[in-house]
Amino acid sequence: MAFDMKEGYLTTTVDAVLNWARSNSLMPMPMGLACCAIEMMAFAGPKYDVARFGSEAMRFSPRQADLMLVAGWCSFKMAHTIRRVWDQMPDPKWCVAMGACASTGGMHRCYGVVQGIDNFLPVDVYISGCPPRPEAVLHALMDIQEKIRNEYSVVDDYEFGQEQPVPTTQNNALLLPEGETIITPNVLENQ
Amino acid sequence: MPETLKFHFTPADPPRPDEANPHAKESTQVADVIDQLRDAFGEAIGEQVVYAGEHTVFVDKARLLEIAQHLKAELGFVYFVDCGGVDRFTDEDRFEVFYNLVNVADRKRLRLKVRVDEDDLHVPSVVSVWKAADWNEREVYDMMGLIFDGHPDLRRMYMPEDFDYFPQRKEFPLLGIPGSLPLPPQTPRGPLTMDPYAAAHGSKPVKSYEEPKSEEEE
Ligand code: SF4
Repeated sequence: MAFDMKEGYLTTTVDAVLNWARSNSLMPMPMGLACCAIEMMAFAGPKYDVARFGSEAMRFSPRQADLMLVAGWCSFKMAHTIRRVWDQMPDPKWCVAMGACASTGGMHRCYGVVQGIDNFLPVDVYISGCPPRPEAVLHALMDIQEKIRNEYSVVDDYEFGQEQPVPTTQNNALLLPEGETIITPNVLENQ
Repeated sequence: MPETLKFHFTPADPPRPDEANPHAKESTQVADVIDQLRDAFGEAIGEQVVYAGEHTVFVDKARLLEIAQHLKAELGFVYFVDCGGVDRFTDEDRFEVFYNLVNVADRKRLRLKVRVDEDDLHVPSVVSVWKAADWNEREVYDMMGLIFDGHPDLRRMYMPEDFDYFPQRKEFPLLGIPGSLPLPPQTPRGPLTMDPYAAAHGSKPVKSYEEPKSEEEE
């Protein structure tokens, strides 16, 4: 094809294109556990219309999803199932703790409810409220999109097909009070 | 004013049998049933309490099963609504089990109670009389640790099978005992601690009852 220099062109990076595509086509996995799930349905319905953000396709199979919306309180028994579902979702994936219960246990301050799903899941965005309004869920989705757009996706994690080591943050130890050790991802994994 | 726009007020309620409880109904005033029970069982029928227009009767734990059979067969209490446990946290007769029963034909509601001492946590099961008691008794066992003698399948209802405590007892801490319930690992590569889909790996839970046969099978 003859290329006419008068038409102009655009440069970009692979990351920017990839992140743009990812952030606008998130496929949520609706992990509806309690009353918050009703608000999650409203968020997906026509009035609040999450299709504006490209996330209208709720995936009930974890293998097709990349965003887990944990809506509602999570019992100790259910935690194992949620973790299985999360493990089945392909990387990269993100997690939203929707509502007071998923974030902290909320009013269910008792023996049977996990006091915050961040006890066993890496949560990216917490939504406050009991239940949060669908607008708040939309906002959380936009926060996730923002996070994705600022990610380095392909080039940084791997070099020649090899996984890069997790960066340690030992320098920050200088800021710690005496006698305390810093918790890095490596420390947790070696426990 | 057109007919459709008129307000229709609910007519005033007729006077109630008991002023202390505006919601009391005739059906909960069952002194006659308790008298009949007393005639049949004598000493085994204990104190009778009227609170807010509702009759409650305490019965002897040892003869509970007979009383239940009599209530169903002779006095028409065919509907087992509910049963549950109470931890009164007293030195004597610490636990209480209540049974809410309904006689549908005569519109009567009776509350039956038995007291259980901490040294002897056994209660006769009434599943042989009312099948509906099955899961309720399992729940009481799960939460309070009362043992229902003669229950066909006394397993835990909500808590995991290997849980060591009875969480609705008063001495159990509200937030539970740390480490008594397993959580999934906190790191991405940690091993999964508990298999939530045991059935998918060949471990089948015991059936608690024989399922009713389908019409073709019969
Ligand atoms: S935060 Fe409120 S609405 Fe949401 S699950 Fe908890 S109790 Fe229900």
